[in-house]
Amino acid sequence: MDIIEIENLSHRFEDGTLGLDRISLQIREGAFVVVAGPNGSGKTTLIRHLNGLLLPTVGSVKLAGVSVQHDLLRARRLVGMMFQDADSQIVGETVYEDVAFGPENLQLDRNQISKRVKQALIAVGLTDFTDQSPHLLSGGEKRRLAIAGILAMEPKVITFDEPFASLDYPGVKQVLIQILSLHQAGHTILVITHDLEKVIAHADRLIIMQKGQIVRDGLPAEIVNAVETFGVRAPCASLLGMEVRSWLN
Amino acid sequence: MAELTSFSFRSGTSLLHRLDVRFKLLFLILISLISLSGDFPRLGIFTCLLTVLIINSRLPLKSGLKGLQFFLILLLLILGARMVTTPGDAIIEIKFFSITRQGILSGVLICWRLTIIVLLGFAFIFSTRSFEIKAAVEWVLKPFAFIPGKRIATMMGLTTRFVPVILNQANETAEAQRARCVENRKNPVYRLIRLGIPLIRRTFERADKLAVAMEARCYTENRTDPELSATRLDWMALVVMILICGLVVSI
Repeated sequence: MDIIEIENLSHRFEDGTLGLDRISLQIREGAFVVVAGPNGSGKTTLIRHLNGLLLPTVGSVKLAGVSVQHDLLRARRLVGMMFQDADSQIVGETVYEDVAFGPENLQLDRNQISKRVKQALIAVGLTDFTDQSPHLLSGGEKRRLAIAGILAMEPKVITFDEPFASLDYPGVKQVLIQILSLHQAGHTILVITHDLEKVIAHADRLIIMQKGQIVRDGLPAEIVNAVETFGVRAPCASLLGMEVRSWLN
Repeated sequence: MAELTSFSFRSGTSLLHRLDVRFKLLFLILISLISLSGDFPRLGIFTCLLTVLIINSRLPLKSGLKGLQFFLILLLLILGARMVTTPGDAIIEIKFFSITRQGILSGVLICWRLTIIVLLGFAFIFSTRSFEIKAAVEWVLKPFAFIPGKRIATMMGLTTRFVPVILNQANETAEAQRARCVENRKNPVYRLIRLGIPLIRRTFERADKLAVAMEARCYTENRTDPELSATRLDWMALVVMILICGLVVSI
């Protein structure tokens, strides 16, 4: 079943720039998709249409058969979004408060909120940091906290916008392990990146964007060698003609 | 990044930690108001009470005083000003200035009052989680329909959350400018503008990103209400506090 259905989507910004140009795309439930492309190719603009942060100028976006525009709250519950700058995404003064922010907005009762927060913190391994101030966390921990905040909303689709940017090696591994465990738990995963190296070994689909259009879409192994044509650095292993291995090995 | 200040919540099980935030807020207001017009015996009673609370809650006075160094300087200035400007029996006379007995007493009294109020605030912040303070603000503002209590509480929370982030940003920007020899420019206005403009721009950009992230997490003002519950301990504390305040006022 396709959980995301995008038909002929175009988006023009207020200054007249064309952000997306006639994009049609279907993503099945449980897929692990990497969307790559150079800066300004429209990756973030595309993702922001999935939960109605941006609305189409032309075309439609449907989540599990229902138009995003038709029910924004439903869209935001179904699609969790991790932004590139985790610091700007964290709103709580403590780890607990931040994770509780989403469920409080959904007006759940206190017991449910507490249950969801506990489950989310267990899932990302931050239970020992409950009362800690987020600004004292490391980069990797902040991203895990941002993931916990999303998990507490119980979404079906989770999008990650440049999840490995400015992280050290242990931080990258922490976040990658988290993404994989979310995928194994049945979430549909969309990772936006221009750095394929760290994640491509785990993806089952690769989409390349350029100038607001999808220029390649298919199995990673089939198109990874062609990505440099579109301004995306190919993984070192594929440049050397070897199989791309996981960063976790 | 290190903790920015010792004026922050530390978990504990002391009496202050266990009290409901609304009661603590009420006690804070009561004692502060009475202290403002209190004389030496009254302040003495409050100081005894405060000492017991400080010992019981293990308030880190040493690190607290470090953070209060500018406040201590302010107290010294107040004391000095009072000593030389209050008319009365001169103890020491130096040219145009005379330090009076009444001036010393008046200065000490004012400094004592301010110290009690500041230490009470310190104890309150030390023993109260920030979301409890937000909850209390919401609760206090609830009867006033024309004041958006929930919005104010959210703004308070976001301010507390982002002050360290903005300070960090200011440090980074200042360091980047020092690395490019901004110190060779002796004009402080030039340096302030060079630091201020990028900092303000980055802060607004961050605020924009924050607004989008909040929207993505379904932000609404009709959120789940914070949970506050008064226990027997709170009511007992209220009775004791009323008795103490009654005693102090009647002196």
